Amino acid sequence: MVVEDLSVPAFWRRRTSYYRLVAARCKKCGKLHYPPGAACPYCGSRELELIELKGKGILESYSVIYSAPGESRGRAPIIIGVINMNGLRIVSELTDVFPDELKVGIEVEPVLRRMDEDSNKGIIRYAIKFRPILVSKSER
Amino acid sequence: MSDVVISGTGILKVGRHYSKSLKDLAAEAAFEALDESQVDSVDYVIVSSSLSYTEVGQLGLAGYISSYIGLTGARPLSVEDGEASGLAAVEVATSLVKSGLADNVLVVGVDKLTEFTSGRVYEDLQKIYDSEVFLLHKVGHAGLAGLLMRMYMEKYKVSREELSYWPALMHSHAKENPHAMLRFAIDPSAVEKSLIIADPITLLDSFPLGDGAAAVVISNEEVVKGKGLAKVKACSSSSGLPNPFLQEDPLKIGSLISAYQKLVEMTGIKASDIDVMEIHDSFTITAMMILESLGLSKEGKAAKDVAEGKYGKDSKPAVNLSGGLKARGHPIGATGVYMVAELSRQLAGTFKGVSVPDASRALAVQVNGFGSSSRLVLLERR
Ligand SMILES: [Zn+2]
Repeated sequence: MVVEDLSVPAFWRRRTSYYRLVAARCKKCGKLHYPPGAACPYCGSRELELIELKGKGILESYSVIYSAPGESRGRAPIIIGVINMNGLRIVSELTDVFPDELKVGIEVEPVLRRMDEDSNKGIIRYAIKFRPILVSKSER
Repeated sequence: MSDVVISGTGILKVGRHYSKSLKDLAAEAAFEALDESQVDSVDYVIVSSSLSYTEVGQLGLAGYISSYIGLTGARPLSVEDGEASGLAAVEVATSLVKSGLADNVLVVGVDKLTEFTSGRVYEDLQKIYDSEVFLLHKVGHAGLAGLLMRMYMEKYKVSREELSYWPALMHSHAKENPHAMLRFAIDPSAVEKSLIIADPITLLDSFPLGDGAAAVVISNEEVVKGKGLAKVKACSSSSGLPNPFLQEDPLKIGSLISAYQKLVEMTGIKASDIDVMEIHDSFTITAMMILESLGLSKEGKAAKDVAEGKYGKDSKPAVNLSGGLKARGHPIGATGVYMVAELSRQLAGTFKGVSVPDASRALAVQVNGFGSSSRLVLLERR
């Protein structure tokens, strides 16, 4: 059974926040939020500008999910993390890393990765995930 | 403005009720509450259910439940606020009675979590979080809790072992509660050894999947002529940021702090003035965050407090004498109604389980997810 939580139009609408890390900055209070809302959740101002988060982030926390539900079961273990980018914390999947290599405080970078395939609609879903930045031993 | 009382309560054992339908469960709880209250009319039937649409496939549930229990003609209203639906329903009911628009309101909380496999239910449960962010990844409902628990352990240097005392305390309470789902004691060391769901969260840090229904009749005190189990002193609520990591401190529940401030402004009553409390311990870490957000434990100290024996029946407040979400169970949309029914019985001296004699103030605390909304209901002895 396939539970179709994410419709084709919903996926299309969200392509910017899924494929590019576009956050909103409030012109009044300066705070960032992601994904962008219709107004600033901190001060209520509707004067927002979209900015693309770039560069590397710092891993602030992580969890290794062994018991993933339904459709995602085959992808377990799934590693998710809290990544601080430009002062904004986002939650995303981590990739190219084994659970025992994870540590709070390491540097990570965004990469585009295949998520899964919707067998009914034939959509192959991609999403931004984060991977540790490889540092050679001499640089450490 | 009228004084508002809980005039009747109905509580079903949380469990796997394979032989009963959602409406059967609702009827059983409703009849128990109506029989206790002995009211001769019901103006509104408010139904709180979070997963009935997806698990049972029913829309307009309040209308169907009204007629199923013979209250055809009552005004039906379905209320939904994720995991906090139960207290949302109680808040609406209280407002209707307080304003004089209704004399008696029946609130029924009901959800059925065992209709399908646990995989499907866990998939549904992740919908309590912001779908814009979390529907893509489909990692279930425990992942965010895992992120917060690790953050808590790292920031405050709290050990896994210290956090294991909470589930053990909850099981010790549930063991005495006839309507709890998990009526057995566990040793704190069992928590770490149980199945890892979302590291560091284990199965015993989380709640069991069970069906349940609870009901309360909320009445104008004059209409029930001074009878009733407890007074509804105040209800408070607040929305919060869409995910905890947008808060400066993700380990505090912003919406709960905001709802609590409003409650203190309305009543002058603080968390430390409460005798018995039921809090929304969807995970061990949620309980720690709630106790610290309400100022009952200092930042990073809740786990140590629990390990040292705080929050048991001799504490003020005594917390989750029902066994909490952890061990009484968490039939999502019903849970808040369970809390209010249990606390009303604590105040009336009729709670069958670990109880606090002569308790005069009780507080129910719910959070959806990790704080997209938070809700409080304050009860007083009559
Ligand atoms: Zn702003």
